[in-house]
Amino acid sequence: MGNTLLKVEGLKVNYFSENGKIEAIKEVSFNVKKGETIGIIGESGSGKTSIAMAITGLLENNAEVKGKIIYEGVNLLDLKEEEINNYRWNKIAIVFQNRLDVLNPVLTIKEQITEVIIRHNNLCKDEVYKKVRNLFESIGLSKDWLNRYPHELSGGMRQKVLIAMALACEPDLLIVDEPTSSLDADSRSEIINLLKGIQNSNRKFSMIVVSHDLTLIKELTFKVLVLYSGHILEEGITREVIKNPLHPYTRGLLNSSPELNPYQDLWGIPISLKEEKGKGCPFYQRCNQARIECSEQVPKLKNLSLERKVACNRGGILTILEAKGICKKFTYKNRVIKACDNCNIDIKSGEIVALVGQSGSGKTTLANIISGFSKADNGEVVFDGNKIENFKEIRKLNGLQIIFQDPFSSINPNFTIEEAIREPLDILKIETKDLRKEKVKKILTDVQLPVEQSFVKKKCMELSGGQRQRVAIARGLIMEPKILIADEICSMLDPSTKANMLRLLKELQNKKGFSMLYITHDLNIARKISDRVFVMYNGNLVESGNAYEIFNKPKCNYTKKLIQKGFMKAL
Amino acid sequence: MGRIINIIKDFSLVGKISLIALVIILIIAIFAPYLSKYPHDKPVASPLKSPTKEHILGTDDLGIDLWAQIIHGARISLIVGLGTALIAGVGGSTIGILAGYFGGFIDKFLMRLADVMIVLPELPTMIVLGVFFGSSIYNIIIVLSLFSWIKPARIVRSKTLSIKEENFIKIAQIYGAKFHYITIKHIMPYIFPLILISFIKLINRAIIAEASLSFLGLGDPTSKSWGLILNYAINFSGIYFTPYWKWWVLSPLIAITITVVSIAIIGREFEKIFKLKI
Repeated sequence: MGNTLLKVEGLKVNYFSENGKIEAIKEVSFNVKKGETIGIIGESGSGKTSIAMAITGLLENNAEVKGKIIYEGVNLLDLKEEEINNYRWNKIAIVFQNRLDVLNPVLTIKEQITEVIIRHNNLCKDEVYKKVRNLFESIGLSKDWLNRYPHELSGGMRQKVLIAMALACEPDLLIVDEPTSSLDADSRSEIINLLKGIQNSNRKFSMIVVSHDLTLIKELTFKVLVLYSGHILEEGITREVIKNPLHPYTRGLLNSSPELNPYQDLWGIPISLKEEKGKGCPFYQRCNQARIECSEQVPKLKNLSLERKVACNRGGILTILEAKGICKKFTYKNRVIKACDNCNIDIKSGEIVALVGQSGSGKTTLANIISGFSKADNGEVVFDGNKIENFKEIRKLNGLQIIFQDPFSSINPNFTIEEAIREPLDILKIETKDLRKEKVKKILTDVQLPVEQSFVKKKCMELSGGQRQRVAIARGLIMEPKILIADEICSMLDPSTKANMLRLLKELQNKKGFSMLYITHDLNIARKISDRVFVMYNGNLVESGNAYEIFNKPKCNYTKKLIQKGFMKAL
Repeated sequence: MGRIINIIKDFSLVGKISLIALVIILIIAIFAPYLSKYPHDKPVASPLKSPTKEHILGTDDLGIDLWAQIIHGARISLIVGLGTALIAGVGGSTIGILAGYFGGFIDKFLMRLADVMIVLPELPTMIVLGVFFGSSIYNIIIVLSLFSWIKPARIVRSKTLSIKEENFIKIAQIYGAKFHYITIKHIMPYIFPLILISFIKLINRAIIAEASLSFLGLGDPTSKSWGLILNYAINFSGIYFTPYWKWWVLSPLIAITITVVSIAIIGREFEKIFKLKI
């Protein structure tokens, strides 16, 4: 136990309202060590604040708290109201979410802070004033503000005052609830630095930071809990979690943060991918890799590695496709060209991976091998646990689909739009004819093409390049693939069509949750859409990693050169 | 069918006139027994009569009505033409698709066969075969077909070869499409114009070939085609010294010419519309 300050075990919080019981927190357990800062992140409504309130014992009467909250060996939930008061503010203090109504509008700042100190300490007046002044100094506000009323202060100042109030009784555990949510960037970094500074200078108090602001969490916390509808879905060291999220929900949260994705379009986590809710995994409805058993079985928080826990029936984000040691040689007039030399690629479920490189670097060869078009001399491709052979994965629903560069040659111009999209289903005899037609309509809406009969019966040769490419995408998507390989699909389109196409692809990816391997020589586009990047040069994969890191801090010389050239035009 | 009607609407004036002429000939051929009072194989009047109201084109040396002979001759010519075109066109296209699609041994075998047929001198072989098999109209059709399938087969094969490399066919194959599906859905629409034009040209070829064989006296003597009428007329010694040639020689000749020219023009119209040249 030694340095464990707070231990939360099987915490459950239920709210009772007229509409019945709402389970806000379901079985949450975690520890806070002395001097440690942990973060709790999650979307609004995930129960972050409920946990904070439960620990401080500030929940309203309509709430029911079960489980154990052990503070230095004492279960706070067993204590009477008066006894809790001894802990609250003295030992456990909370910085409330910054709202105007948190502070009493008819009292000055000074009166409010002194009130707290007097309530919890036996100090004489002079000592109190001295303390207040010291506090004010430490939060970096001039004492002129002491005699003002709350409404006269700016948001940032009010936040500082709230922090000062929380620190007034020198607590051992500080709970900070959304300290920066309504602040501008400047005051935000000020608050972050303030919290950091105070924690370092004073005797080390522990901190629980509740926020949906990832920068704040990244700056302040050492460990992080990812909360979703009252469940902890992932737990780990903050830096590791942000660098390599292992739960689809965590990744969704990270991808929705503009600070972490300065280049990409922002897309939130889709509201629901599936119709029914299920009794199992809380994230089932929105998860892109859920299986039937996920709707029945609630996942337990399991250790994936030391310090890393994930609650997922499928063991976190799956690696959907893995190519290991791919080698391919072409012999041409006694000259051997190594198109792929020991290439390893992995694609996780629900992510967009870009494969970049100049023409002739072997990108398309690699893509062809991955999709099963050509055979590798060496190495193997594993899709969802099975080796890829003979187009088996292309020929089934929920498999792998590929879209080609040239929409003019990849679709028979004599086909009507409906026939073209329906073709895979027709060939493979999937579903009945009427159902196929229904599916075509659905997919057409997805790719933003009209569904009127007059349009559907048009010949493909009457369509523009962009429209044809949409038809090609629709043909791929009608097979509901888990992974889509897109080989330079935008390179033949004009900028506006290209932009529309990319947004469409990203939207579909987000909505349907498939993974994508996007092959391109256009770095701007790769930077715009990809989560991860592989750089290819002369048949070798020279560098791979997080898109942000590759484009900002490339390590390999070739990548550096490529990026310099690729973005020179833009500058 | 709708497609063909649409194409016909795009015909030029000459093309439309040719089509009408051909349709009239077709109707005449079909309703031949009702269009003439006289039988085409029995003498009904005195021989070598000039055209009169009774006998529009006069009679031949046996006193058989020439008009009756011409309209019955149309039947023979068209049956031979259409029959040959159908057999040679369908057979040739099938061989072409098979050779082009599968390639390899099948392709080699079929194309060598075609080479052999090309090397054989056509008319002499036909004469020999005609003599050998005896000259019934069906034998003529078979013999003509045997020599006519090569051109459509080669054209269709080369087109199939080029379409086969199209991405959309490769994609269909990836999804598991077989020969049957790909031929009907993907290849047929592309080679249909080629087959149509070949078909029209084959009709013409067969009509002319049949006329030539008959003219040489190798036709079926019981089924009097235009070529045979011409053969009889020419063999009438000293015909050009008499006025009889004006109706006896000219009428079958004009019939053949109108038919062949109008079919040729229709073929040309299709070529123009499909932007193809065979």
